Amino acid sequence: APRAGKPPSSPTATGPGPGPDALRGGAAGPGRASSGAPRERKMAPHGPGSLTTLVPWAAALLLALGVERALALPEICTQCPGSVQNLSKVALYCKTTRELMLHARCCLNQKGTILGLDLQNCSLEDPGPNFHQALTTVIIDLQANPLKGDLANTFHGFTHLQTLILPQDVNCPGGINAWNTITSYIDNQICQGQKNLCNNTGDPEMCPENGSCVPDGPGLLQCVCADGFHGYKCMRQGSFSLLMFFGILGSTTLSISILLWGTQRRKAKTS
Amino acid sequence: MAWPNVFQRASLLSQFSHHHVVVFLLTFFSYSLLHASRKTFSNVKVSISEQWTPSAFNTSIELPVEIWSSNHLFPSAEKATLFLGTLDTIFLFSYAVGLFISGIIGDRLNLRWVLSFGMCSSALVVFVFGALTEWLHFYNKWLYCCLWIVNGLLQSTGWPCVVAVMGNWFGKAGRGVVFGLWSACASVGNILGACLAYSVLQYGYEYAFLVTASVQFAGGIVIFFGLLVSPEEIGLSGIEAEENFEEDSHRPLINDGENEDEYEPNYSIQDDSSVAQVKAISFYQACCLPGVIPYSLAYACLKLVNYSFFFWLPFYLSNNFGWKEAEADKLSIWYDVGGIIGGTLQGFISDVLQKRAPVLALSLLLAVGSLIGYSRSPNDKSVNALLMTVTGFFIGGPSNMISSAISADLGRQELIQRSSEALATVTGIVDGSGSIGAAVGQYLVSLIRDKLGWMWVFYFFILMTSCTIVFISPLIVREIFSLVLRRQAHILRE
Repeated sequence: APRAGKPPSSPTATGPGPGPDALRGGAAGPGRASSGAPRERKMAPHGPGSLTTLVPWAAALLLALGVERALALPEICTQCPGSVQNLSKVALYCKTTRELMLHARCCLNQKGTILGLDLQNCSLEDPGPNFHQALTTVIIDLQANPLKGDLANTFHGFTHLQTLILPQDVNCPGGINAWNTITSYIDNQICQGQKNLCNNTGDPEMCPENGSCVPDGPGLLQCVCADGFHGYKCMRQGSFSLLMFFGILGSTTLSISILLWGTQRRKAKTS
Repeated sequence: MAWPNVFQRASLLSQFSHHHVVVFLLTFFSYSLLHASRKTFSNVKVSISEQWTPSAFNTSIELPVEIWSSNHLFPSAEKATLFLGTLDTIFLFSYAVGLFISGIIGDRLNLRWVLSFGMCSSALVVFVFGALTEWLHFYNKWLYCCLWIVNGLLQSTGWPCVVAVMGNWFGKAGRGVVFGLWSACASVGNILGACLAYSVLQYGYEYAFLVTASVQFAGGIVIFFGLLVSPEEIGLSGIEAEENFEEDSHRPLINDGENEDEYEPNYSIQDDSSVAQVKAISFYQACCLPGVIPYSLAYACLKLVNYSFFFWLPFYLSNNFGWKEAEADKLSIWYDVGGIIGGTLQGFISDVLQKRAPVLALSLLLAVGSLIGYSRSPNDKSVNALLMTVTGFFIGGPSNMISSAISADLGRQELIQRSSEALATVTGIVDGSGSIGAAVGQYLVSLIRDKLGWMWVFYFFILMTSCTIVFISPLIVREIFSLVLRRQAHILRE
C-alpha cells in the first residue's frame, strides 16, 4: 500500500488545527470530524524501549496502520454503498490535488480529514446522524436523493463548504442570499460559494458586548468572543500572571515580616 | 486655660518611638485591608451578576450556549442584584454579632493572634467565595450565603483588636487627634479595594477576589510577625503608668462628674507580675461600665446614618440627578474626605477640652442643619460635593470619633484601669450595636425610599441624628457641668 510508506507527519495532528473556530466548543469542533483512525494512531507510539529495537516493530505497525486506516473510515463515508463515481464533481475535485485520495464515498487528505463527500443516489431522506463528521468538507453532493424537510439547520458549522449539489426540488440552505451563485439544472441544483452574512446586515449591534459575528455554515451566523476576549459572556481579557503576582507578594511579605520581626518583636516577651 | 495641654502634647509627640509609628501603620493597614476586601465585593457586583445570569441579548444570530447562557443561577440581572443586596445585609448582621463575640475573645486571648487569625481566615473565605467557586464552576446560593456569614464573623475580629492595640499604645492625651487621623483607615481601605479590583477586573472578577484576599492574607502574616500589642510586651511601661506621672493628663475624659472630685491618682507602676495578673472583664461588666450603653445606642443611630450614606449615596446621586454611576462613585469620595477631616479636627478639639461629648453634641446639631442643606442641594456637582464634604464633616467625624477614640476611652477608664482587659470587649459592644443599626438602616432606607421617596429618607436621617444627641445627652450635661466647675475652680485659684 502506498499509504504505509508515507506515515503521517505527527500523530497528534488530527484536524485542520484549532483556529478561531475552536472557540465554538468541542461538540462542533473540527477535531472530532476525523474520528476513528487518527485517534487510534495516537496510541501507537506509546511504550518505553530503545529506538533500535523499536524499528522493526514500527515498520510492522505502520503497515498494519495503513490497512487499519482504510478500514476505519468515518461512518459517513461508508454510510452509502459503493464508491465515488468517476465523473462526479467530488471525484473531479479530489483529482485536482495530488495529496487527496478517494475512499468509499469520501475524499480525504493525508491527515484523514474529509474534504469531499459524495452521497448521491443513496435513497437518503435526510443526511443522517453522522453527517456532522463531514464538517470540514469543501464539496458535498446530495443529488438523486429523496430529501425531505428543511436543510437549513443541517449545515450548522459547515463553514468550509463551497460547493453543494442538491436534488432539483430542494432549495439551497440559507436561501438565495447565502450563496454567491445558484445554478439549476434538469436533475440537480448547485449552490456555490458561501457568503459571509456578518458584513451584509449592516447592523453593528448584532452581538452582545465583546462578542463578534462569525459565519456558521450557509446562511447561518453565530456570536463568538471578539479578538482578545474569552470566558463566559466574553467578559475576560488577557490572562493574569499568577506566578508573578505571588512571587512579588510572597517576597514582599517575607521581607517586611523579617524586617518587623527584627525591629519590633525580637525582644518581645512571648505571651 | 487649655493651651498648656497643647504644648504638653507637643512634648508627648516627641515621646513617640518607632514602635508607635509601626503600630500605627500596622493597625491602620490591617483594617484598611479588611475594608478593602469588603469594598471589592461591591465593586465587582456588576461582573458577578453578569456571571450568574444567562445573556438577555436579543438577536437573530445564534448565541452559542456555552459562551452566552450556560449559567442559570439567576434568571435576570435584577434578581442577581437583589441577591447581592441580601448578601450585604447578611454580612452586616453577622458582622454585628461577630463584633460582640470577637471583642470578648480578643481580651482573653492574645490580640495579635486573634487579629492575625481573623485576617488570614477571612482571606481564605473570600478566596473560596470569589475565586474557587468560579474556577470549579460551582455556583450555589446557599454556599454563598454561608460563606458570607462566616466572612462577617471572621472580619469582625479586626476592629476591636486594632482599636484595643491602638488604645494600648496611645494615651488619652493625644488620643482624639491620633485616632481621628487613624480612622481614615476605612476610607483608605475603600480606595485601596477599588484600585485593586479595577486593576485586575479585566482578567475576570475572580482575580479581584484572589488579589484582595491574597494581600489580606499577607497582611495577616505581617501582623503575626511584626505587631506589638502593647508597650508592656517589650518591657516599656504602659500608658496608664506613664500618664500617672503627669499631673493632669491621667484625668479620664469619660467619667462620672461625681467621681471627679474624689479622684485619687493611682501611682501604680506596671511591672511584669501585674501584666500577668491582668484579667479580662466579662461581657456584662463591660456593658455596665459608665458610658458604654449610651454611646452604644447613640452609635447605633449614627452609624445607621453614616452607613446609609456610604451605601446609598452613589445610587441617590445617579437616581436623583441622573449623573453617571462611575461619576457618582467618584463624587461620593468627598463624603469620606469630610469624615476624615471632621474626625481629626473634632478629636483635636476634644483633646484640648478633655471632654468629648460636648464636641459631639455641637457637631451633631450642625449635622442636622447640613442634612437639611444637602437634601435641598441644587443639580450642580461642585456645590453638591461641597455640601457632601460638610455633611461628612459633621456626621462622619463624630461617627469616627465614637467608634475609635471614645471606645478606647471607655475601655480604659479608671474603674478598670489596673485590673482588667476591657478595651476589645467595649469596642466590640459599641461597634457591634452600631453595625446592627447599620444593618437595620440598610433595610429601612430602601423601604422608606420605595414607599415615601428620597425626601423622607432625609427626614429619617435627621430623626436618627437627633436620637443620637438624645442618647448621649446625660453625658453632655454631666461633662459640660464639670467643665464649668473646672473653670470656676480655676478662676477661684487665681
